[in-house]
Amino acid sequence: MDILFGSLAAGILLGMVIALVALGLTIIFGVMDIVNFAHGEFLMVGMYTGLLTAQATGMDPLFTLPVAGVVGFLLGVICYAGFIKFLIRGPMVAQLLGTFGLMLFLRNLALLIFGSSDRTVHHGILVGKSFEIGMGIILPATKLAAAGLSVIAFLAVWLLMNRTKVGKALTATALNAQAARYMGIPTEKMNALAWGIGGASVTVAGALIVNFWAVNPFMGLLFTMIAFAVVALGGFGSVPGAFFAGLVVGLIMEIPGFWDFFTYTFDWMWMADVPMTSLKYMWIYVAYFVIMVVRPRGLFGWKH
Amino acid sequence: METLRNAFDFSDFPRMDLVIAGAVAFLFLIFPLFPTSSFAMATMIQFFMFALYGMGWNTIGGYGGQVDLGKAQYVGIGAYTTAVMLIRWDIPFWVSMPVGMAIAVIWSFIIGYPLFRLKGHYFAIATIATSLVLKDLFTVWSFVGAARGLEISPITYPPPDYLRLIFREDIYYYYTILGFFFLGFIYMNWFRKSRLGFQLRCIKDNEDMARSLGINVHWAKIKTYAIATAFVSMVGSFHVCYIKVIEPVDIMSLDLSILIALMAMLGGAGSLWGPIIGAGVLIPLRSYLKEWLGAAAGLVGIDLILYALIIMIVSAFEPRGIWGIVEKVRRRKRR
Amino acid sequence: MKVSVRLVIVSIAIAAVLGLTVPAGVFGAEEIKIGVIYPLTGGAAAAGRELRAGAELAAEIANNGMADLSMTMAKNSGIKAMGGAKINLVFKDHEGNPTLGADLAKKLILDDKVHGILGCYHSSVTKTVSAVCEQYGVPMINGSSTSPDLTMRGFKWFWRTTPHDKWFTKDLFEFLKGLSEGKVKGVRAVPKKDIEAVAAACENTEWGSLVTEMIKLFAGEYDFKLRKTLLYADKATDLSSEVRSMKAARPDVMLFASYTSDAILMVKTLKAEKASPKVIWGQDAGFETPEFRNTLGDDIVGILTRTVFLPQVVEVKKVAGQVNQMYKAKTGNDLSGASARSFTGLQTWVHVLEKAGSTKPADIQKAANAIEIPGDELVVPWAGVKFSTTGDELGQNILGSGLIGQYQKAKDGKVVLEIVYPFDVVTADMIYPFQAW
Repeated sequence: MDILFGSLAAGILLGMVIALVALGLTIIFGVMDIVNFAHGEFLMVGMYTGLLTAQATGMDPLFTLPVAGVVGFLLGVICYAGFIKFLIRGPMVAQLLGTFGLMLFLRNLALLIFGSSDRTVHHGILVGKSFEIGMGIILPATKLAAAGLSVIAFLAVWLLMNRTKVGKALTATALNAQAARYMGIPTEKMNALAWGIGGASVTVAGALIVNFWAVNPFMGLLFTMIAFAVVALGGFGSVPGAFFAGLVVGLIMEIPGFWDFFTYTFDWMWMADVPMTSLKYMWIYVAYFVIMVVRPRGLFGWKH
Repeated sequence: METLRNAFDFSDFPRMDLVIAGAVAFLFLIFPLFPTSSFAMATMIQFFMFALYGMGWNTIGGYGGQVDLGKAQYVGIGAYTTAVMLIRWDIPFWVSMPVGMAIAVIWSFIIGYPLFRLKGHYFAIATIATSLVLKDLFTVWSFVGAARGLEISPITYPPPDYLRLIFREDIYYYYTILGFFFLGFIYMNWFRKSRLGFQLRCIKDNEDMARSLGINVHWAKIKTYAIATAFVSMVGSFHVCYIKVIEPVDIMSLDLSILIALMAMLGGAGSLWGPIIGAGVLIPLRSYLKEWLGAAAGLVGIDLILYALIIMIVSAFEPRGIWGIVEKVRRRKRR
Repeated sequence: MKVSVRLVIVSIAIAAVLGLTVPAGVFGAEEIKIGVIYPLTGGAAAAGRELRAGAELAAEIANNGMADLSMTMAKNSGIKAMGGAKINLVFKDHEGNPTLGADLAKKLILDDKVHGILGCYHSSVTKTVSAVCEQYGVPMINGSSTSPDLTMRGFKWFWRTTPHDKWFTKDLFEFLKGLSEGKVKGVRAVPKKDIEAVAAACENTEWGSLVTEMIKLFAGEYDFKLRKTLLYADKATDLSSEVRSMKAARPDVMLFASYTSDAILMVKTLKAEKASPKVIWGQDAGFETPEFRNTLGDDIVGILTRTVFLPQVVEVKKVAGQVNQMYKAKTGNDLSGASARSFTGLQTWVHVLEKAGSTKPADIQKAANAIEIPGDELVVPWAGVKFSTTGDELGQNILGSGLIGQYQKAKDGKVVLEIVYPFDVVTADMIYPFQAW
């Protein structure tokens, strides 16, 4: 049973952070209908930002979030104004390959600047500490804090989108850009804002994640795909959808744990030989495929 | 007969184009007679391989308008089939390559059927997803060597072995792939004028109208996808005989899928010359950038940065690719 | 055309023709080019730096001679049998990618025209590079790749100085057996049933996969219960599922085969997930690099690792001490398994070239199959270097051996590696069981 609870706890904690990673993608998609393949690279930028700020200033990595957020916002806006704006005028092929180009650009820029070895946070108030609360549940302090802050970030964004004038303008543009323009809402500014907020939320997620995951320039793709799966499940454009879908995907990543649970509870030792841990990301891709074919709208989506 | 005549009929191109094409083709034939470094020869072989990849992709991505970013999985199927058949059962390339194509095509039908219910970027992401799934499975499947991959031992088959395509000198590989290249090119010429080719163009323009005209859109797309798969798998089989080593992480990577799509997009998706021009620009560019800049101490990755910038600039400002520029210029001249 | 221009063109043409027609090595090359392919960037870059430094140091000694070092290669300046020809190392970075490694090997052979190759650390890269060398008939010496397969392919142009994982893994199980029999210094006999549950996590390329096979083989032979084996991608950024899966199997002994970044990550994750086996052991590589020690500090106390060289050896072998001092002056670190074996690899090249007296491949091949380097000339604690020329394993050094070390805290607070196996060269009591973090 310990194994089961351990996996559930791990999955949920991770899921909350994954949700934050996907949040940015769903906002950008909702407002602009463009898929950002460089999303994972934005996350990576956030991770490096968090790491470097912590190292440079000696601050605890958790306090570097605002810095990461600002960097992310600027990154998003610059990408929009300097590149995406032109990209959306072209055909779909170009759009997709364009954001791929952006992905390669950011990835190799990071490679050039930081080198290819993994880097992690080694010092911090919470680094290396875990709480063992019995029943096999071990909560690494960093993951716990990351999950908590992620929830706060989500609430903040949700409030922004639904309770502020700016947020409502964004939602309006997302629903119908043409009509929003007639109402006096400047589409250009909204697009840039969407990218800004999208960028900020994913870099903040990155600054949180770097506390417990290593960062190297090549990790972006995996997270881009995870984010896509979350957004597909939750519904493209839906903020609460991203949250719940994130939890589900977090649990999907714990499939090896559940598999082990069955193996050892029922003593089906043949299961131990199945290399589940190597396939843990594969299930996410399968999930994306299945969702898109079976229910493209996702759980809460209103846009397809 | 009609088909063959169609395949060799290039009359709908301006004469200038044909003259240039003919000259280039001649140069290809005599290239190995010039003394060049092994690097240049390897780059040329790579060029032909990617031109073929691009041509295959062009059928569904260019003429068909559906951006497929998961072609690498079929490269893998072709490569692995040839490798496994050779290593385990000593089956020559000329048998294992068609078998690989068959398996790849079957797989493409299986996932194509649900896949083509999606459109646009959802489709693109789904193609990536399936490619990654296959890659992950191959990474743990011990029959194909799991993550270690497979290796064709250099001492088991004394070169030159024409049946199994094992050679010591690159020149043999050069002419083999050149042969495939010409074949592929002729096929593409036939394709664009075939019924399926016209159907695709109609679908790309306006899918609903195509359907109302009685075209089975779903089926047309799946067939085209299978053709693209066959191309790509064929080159994959060649690849493993040339490089003699494969690993899932390399041969089924997303980077390869993007590169394949890029050939056609950069050169001009939806045109006959596009993928060839694209490969002709990108492959030497990539190789030489890597050679000159990538090796420079401390500047790891700068060649790829330049490469990425080129992709970004072309996508944003000239999405129709090089051939698109050529056509634009011609149109302007005509006025 | 102007006369001068024509003259220049004609002279270049003549030179080119001459250059192409005169085969290399006929006049006795003034310089011997050896291509060295190592992971200078990537997840094992830390090891790559050590490997490079080790080879460079050996080349310096060979090229310049060193009077007070009792090694044959230090006696002369350059290769005496070839008129004092100097060794020129051409370094290339394979980044841990086997296909890139093969490409680089091809370029080194065809374009740079190297006379031989040294490399590559990663067994997966050594596999492909040696295949290229075999294809072109270029001799290759391998100093630190330990997958047993490499010398079982019947290759005639490949020699390996380091012992391989079959021996090392057998050492491990001998050690565990000794633990249960009370042979380990400082530990009373541990009942077999307390340590019989084993779990292993190895990286998934050539090296790790074969280590897993060896573990399975010997666990069966020595009657241990192998509850779980898993392979992971060495570029992974998160290993918590893997660690949790191992924990679920409730092992007493945890075995690992990891390169540098993943070794560090693995230990950190073990700590975060509060893993508490009685014995933790690593198959060298990542577990032995300076980066591993510096990053994890005291957290590694109690961890065992297979090793081929320890600073302690310096106290027993004079040459090891001298070379270590030079190495430390050059890089700031002590010699480690990687650098020591890279040094030994190049040293072997020197001996082979001396014996061959030329750079012709056939001569080198003959010489390599005939040399014997005595143990006291080596910095590593082996009986010597002599390659087998018959049987299943061609080109494997049959005089090598391994050690098992444990990280312990010395009196001055620094973390050092103490020898705990073989039992007759032990330098300290073993810490058993592993103290949970």
